[in-house]
Amino acid sequence: MKPIKHLLPIFLSCCFLFLGCGSESNSSDESGSTKEVVLGKITLDNAWARPGSQQGKSAAYLRISNGTASTDTLLSFSSEAAEKIELHESIEHDDGTISMQPAGQQVIPSGEKLRLQPGGLHLMLINLKRDIAVGDSLKLSLKFARVGTITATTPVQIQN
Amino acid sequence: MSSTLKSLLVSLFIIAGLTACGPDALYDLSGDTYQLRDSDSTLVNFPGDFKGDISLVTFIYTNCPDVCPVITANMTNIQRKLDDTTGVNFIEITFDPERDTPSVLKEYRNLYGLNEQFTMLTSHPRDSDTLLNKLDIVAEKTIIDSLGYDSTNYAMRHSNTLYLMDREGYIRAEYPAHRVKPEHVKDDINYLRSE
Repeated sequence: MKPIKHLLPIFLSCCFLFLGCGSESNSSDESGSTKEVVLGKITLDNAWARPGSQQGKSAAYLRISNGTASTDTLLSFSSEAAEKIELHESIEHDDGTISMQPAGQQVIPSGEKLRLQPGGLHLMLINLKRDIAVGDSLKLSLKFARVGTITATTPVQIQN
Repeated sequence: MSSTLKSLLVSLFIIAGLTACGPDALYDLSGDTYQLRDSDSTLVNFPGDFKGDISLVTFIYTNCPDVCPVITANMTNIQRKLDDTTGVNFIEITFDPERDTPSVLKEYRNLYGLNEQFTMLTSHPRDSDTLLNKLDIVAEKTIIDSLGYDSTNYAMRHSNTLYLMDREGYIRAEYPAHRVKPEHVKDDINYLRSE
């Protein structure tokens, strides 16, 4: 236990220094220079996209985990492989029919996950710039209100 | 006449009556013919060209990037689940014939690596409606203004149905296409095989 006791003051000092950097948002000091701020991480995993033909459509899925201390909001999306990306949601109605509609901005509370998965929320890739076939990959960029843009390399595969 | 003989005659009468009614069917396509085209543009008489085999029949449109590929994936899962796929057809009929031409369906089947047991079918929109109506398949265009959708760029509200058709063209079972368990369908196919 002795070594831990020695390290504790150093650890607390570090925490104090970080807290002294101010709020969690990116900010500038009085001289105008930008200081690096550690916000925690939003991580993207389990990303994959369906195959599609040039000028056609595809869908992409992933899991977004908000590991920051605050709520964040998913604002927009882009990819080098598609002219446009929209967040859509498939809905099963009481009569058994299914339709798709645009989904609004998604707010992800601290510590929560947002799952984009088949039959639910998904990123719809519109007007593909190239054929994307099984085995290819594409880059998906997701822009969040607080942490900014995060990019994920997304394999193209067929759902099993 | 003994009571045993009477019972036997009554039983035979009941069995004869049931047989005359044919199998329990949700829909009877046995006497129908719908002229459709496959992904090679070959004319297909549905269901006549599939008689003698058991067929799984579902409905999709290729501009549907989320749920319809799930339906297709479930069809391939059912195919994989079967110990023997001999005499089983996997048929996907588009409910969007305006955009899903044979060449578009061919692209779709290539993208998803569907083998020769899969048949993708389209038709003239007028003929498509006749078949869809007969099978109570709903397919309505949904135009979302905020997305700039118009008469040529639209989504659809559609049924999520998978039918099991027997060798004579009777629809014998229906399932929710994108989430039915393959084991469930496999059991029903084996039941039809045993008839």
